[in-house]
Amino acid sequence: MTRQKYLFCYLMVAPAMLITAALGIYPMLFSLWMSFVEYDLLRINEFGTPFVGLDNYVAVFSDPRFVQTLVNTIIFTVLAVAATLGFGLLLSQILNANYRGRTAMRMLVCVPWFVPPAVASAIWMWLLNTDRSPINFLLQDLGLISSNVRWLTDSATWGPFSIPMMSIVAVRVWNGLPFAVIFLLAALQSIPRSLYEAAEVDGASLIQKFWYVTLPMLRPVLAILITLLVIGGLGSFEINYIMTGGGPQNLTNIMAVYSYQQAFSFYRFDLASAASGVIFIMTGFVSIFYLRSQLKGVA
Amino acid sequence: MTKRLYRAGTDRKVLRRHTAMLALATALGTTTALGAFAQDITFWTQPQGDLLAYQDLFDELTSEFREESGINVSVEVINWSVAFNTWLTVAQGGAAPDCADMYWLHSFSGIGAGRYGPMPITEYRDRWPTLEDDFYEGALVDVHRNGEFYGIPWRVDIRPMMYRTDFLEEAGIAAPPDNWDEIVEQGLALTERDDNGNVTRWGFALGANNNPAQTLMPYYWQAGGAMMSEDGRTATIDNEAMRTALKFMQDLVHVHQVTSPEIFEKSADPLADFTSGNIAIVGSTNNSWPSQFDRDYPELEGTWALEINPAGPTGNRDSFSGAGYWGVLYGSSDVDACIDWIQFLSEPENMERISEVSGAASPRRSVMTSELWTQRPWQAVMAETLNYGHTSQHPSAVWNAIASPEPGAVLYDLVYNTVIGGGDIDSAVTEAQARMQAELDRASGS
Amino acid sequence: MMTIAVPNTATRPKLWQRLSFANKTDLVTRILIIAITVALLFYILLPVYWMLKSSFQPNQEIRVLPPIWFPSEATAQPYTNANRLIPMWRYVLNSLFVSVTAAAISTVIACSASYVLARFRFPGATIILGLILLTNLIPAITRVFPIYFFIQDLGLLNSYAGLILAYVGFSLPFAVLMLRGYFISAAPPELEEAALIDGCSHFEAFWRVILPVCLPGIAAVAIFTFLNAWNDFLWASLLLNQGEMKTIQVGIGDFAQEGGGVQYVNAFMAACVVATIPALVVFVFVQRWLVGGLTAGSVKT
Repeated sequence: MTRQKYLFCYLMVAPAMLITAALGIYPMLFSLWMSFVEYDLLRINEFGTPFVGLDNYVAVFSDPRFVQTLVNTIIFTVLAVAATLGFGLLLSQILNANYRGRTAMRMLVCVPWFVPPAVASAIWMWLLNTDRSPINFLLQDLGLISSNVRWLTDSATWGPFSIPMMSIVAVRVWNGLPFAVIFLLAALQSIPRSLYEAAEVDGASLIQKFWYVTLPMLRPVLAILITLLVIGGLGSFEINYIMTGGGPQNLTNIMAVYSYQQAFSFYRFDLASAASGVIFIMTGFVSIFYLRSQLKGVA
Repeated sequence: MTKRLYRAGTDRKVLRRHTAMLALATALGTTTALGAFAQDITFWTQPQGDLLAYQDLFDELTSEFREESGINVSVEVINWSVAFNTWLTVAQGGAAPDCADMYWLHSFSGIGAGRYGPMPITEYRDRWPTLEDDFYEGALVDVHRNGEFYGIPWRVDIRPMMYRTDFLEEAGIAAPPDNWDEIVEQGLALTERDDNGNVTRWGFALGANNNPAQTLMPYYWQAGGAMMSEDGRTATIDNEAMRTALKFMQDLVHVHQVTSPEIFEKSADPLADFTSGNIAIVGSTNNSWPSQFDRDYPELEGTWALEINPAGPTGNRDSFSGAGYWGVLYGSSDVDACIDWIQFLSEPENMERISEVSGAASPRRSVMTSELWTQRPWQAVMAETLNYGHTSQHPSAVWNAIASPEPGAVLYDLVYNTVIGGGDIDSAVTEAQARMQAELDRASGS
Repeated sequence: MMTIAVPNTATRPKLWQRLSFANKTDLVTRILIIAITVALLFYILLPVYWMLKSSFQPNQEIRVLPPIWFPSEATAQPYTNANRLIPMWRYVLNSLFVSVTAAAISTVIACSASYVLARFRFPGATIILGLILLTNLIPAITRVFPIYFFIQDLGLLNSYAGLILAYVGFSLPFAVLMLRGYFISAAPPELEEAALIDGCSHFEAFWRVILPVCLPGIAAVAIFTFLNAWNDFLWASLLLNQGEMKTIQVGIGDFAQEGGGVQYVNAFMAACVVATIPALVVFVFVQRWLVGGLTAGSVKT
């Protein structure tokens, strides 16, 4: 019986493992390896890939731009994950409620998901261009501002916060919100109606029902969602790269963009991989908590 | 002369075809078999000008070439959004065509290091015996590296000054700026602000894109500077010319405030700003703008004109110039067929057709003096500016890393921190010189 | 004491009607919620509206400042132009084929793997889960070269198979994690123990009992993997960027000129609209399973 069960388990896991090994683990190991050797496209043909130990990591950490980028990445991720979760919880409840036009509402809320990040960035760049932004014209017409908001280019800062950073977070949230909403919606469906009915009998308010029924029931799904969002946020690339390229003055630069610049602009795949290695450590740290909680849960 | 050479090429092809036929069964010696033996080569190109017209033209060219030579060229258009990553992959041993329309020879051949990417074709150079006379000098620099010849330049990105005639007239200015002082003077007269202080029109834009290194180059040359020594091993940017150029640019932004401080941000869109009247003068325009305006912005007709770049403090009018070229790649299945194809493309008539459709200035002198390039006033200016063309390529494989439009690149940091950031020019130049030297050392293998 | 709106599936009240039955605190909460929702909808829909309206405007009108919010005379010309510039419909079909296949394959593979990882303890389970999770931890951008050369070595460059394989590989880890969580929360072990007692094999229990219960989660994963593939530009542009086989996202890139500008802004927007519609249709089709009829009936604890 046990052997049969194990066989069943391995058979079910095998295809996933094979593909993950080839397209996930191998490239990941390759990338980690690159971070410990010299992998400079301009020198590789002549000098190969000599082992350099931690030199690449030392090099990126002694770059002040990288340190700023690291801070930006954390702030970007925290803001984006918090906003996505907050809006996501709200919208998923609304899409879960039972009313006429729900399907239409679901479609409207999910529309940003169908706009690829590259296209979304192009449209948002247009909407947020200082002199051409329809939002600025609208705000001026409403009398809310007198001079144009420099959404993507204002280099004034409040600590690590700046208008461009907020704008980029808003676009990221815009693009990633439907994913969170649908994910949470699926989870909401599995909460038994009877729990709410019981709470209603006890006279619970909407907020109490949310706090005492919905949230606890969503906890396992929330754990995964947060993990995925954090990992996604730390490795996020396209929107920042296309919209600001990390500017102005590095205020919106994040690690994946830094990594891309090192690799594709400066041909330093070793430094790029070291930057990715740092992301790896950060995402790994997040996942350990998640894994531990998950593995305890396996009965 | 060219004709004779060309016939020689065709003869060789006929010969080769005969050998192939002999080598295989004689029973196959029919016309169908000839078709089956026809050589096939692949050719990649990036689109220029109107996408549709460009594709149609290449359909025509390949079928004419097929009739003439029996060589079947399959053309693949690589769009600009993926071009850079594609060529970087090619230079690393990724899937490559037999021959192609390429750019940035120095970097890609540096990365390919004699194994992948652009392949020298110096032994075929005598197919173009009058190369030096037929082509502009600036463009030929872009197809040579380490004394080797890599192909034929076919388009030049030359960047004269562009200005709005209506705004100048309005402000009572008779002629566009002819030197740096006039740039400041006219910039001040042309900049307009609304009651809230929002700028509604910038008097002067340094360049036509958000690339700090490309923006800097013409002004630095006009001030009399050069980026590196001729062997590509020594950085030469710590000098008075660099300080003069940066000071000029910095003052335009911070002192005179006639240039937007957002010019280097990714969201900057000089084309939209110029066409919608938010910019009056662009000091160094984009080579494709004039033909694009003719085609897509008929409503602007009569409101814009080109002029040769204003002279710097040394009287120098150097204009940014960069050439795209047709070349062969390592691993090519049939180098001879590729050379025949490139030679076919480089015939004056064909280069004229290509220039007409792409709207790009041609590095071939005869095209620029043909009827095609003398119809509109701006065309004459562009042809004239070619004489002031200064190549934007530099003899180091690491050049495109140094000049990359990304923060962290040597020139980006230098220009951004001083011109936009208002930082101290002296220390920035000294630091940039050291960083650039380190990069050059990296490429030259020390 | 108070009246509470008990959801009734037979008559579907309008959203605002539900307000009137609520108690006072709930009323405030609900009004607040609705206000935030309206603001969110504006934020969500503005860019989409902008894309849509620009795709019906002549280029001159798009360029005008201050911007024009409503097209003065709508024209379908941009769509005709877009289709002349790129074989739009062919590219859409390519994209559909690649994305649907990739989504189907990865959903099936992820389902089977995540089910056993959620339900059973077997030697190596922890390591497997850890490895699957690990592969998510490095940003895609540094994996570009190893994966490109891997696909090239398989001889799958510029083929649908290569791109599909890549997409399956990229969405699998996400899909496994998401589904595993869902299996744990939505399908209690009792369900399947009952099935086993009834004489089902492990596979039958999985197929007949667990899968139907988990359909909403599976639908979510399918949508996710589909859109992952549909929206991708980076990998498609590297692995399949030639000729007629291009995906629509790469095709849209054809509008870009040297230096990043876009020729024919309205046609570009039209192509973007066309690129979103099939995804929307697929979504509308699949989202029906997100309605909880199935789960609500079978998982009553």
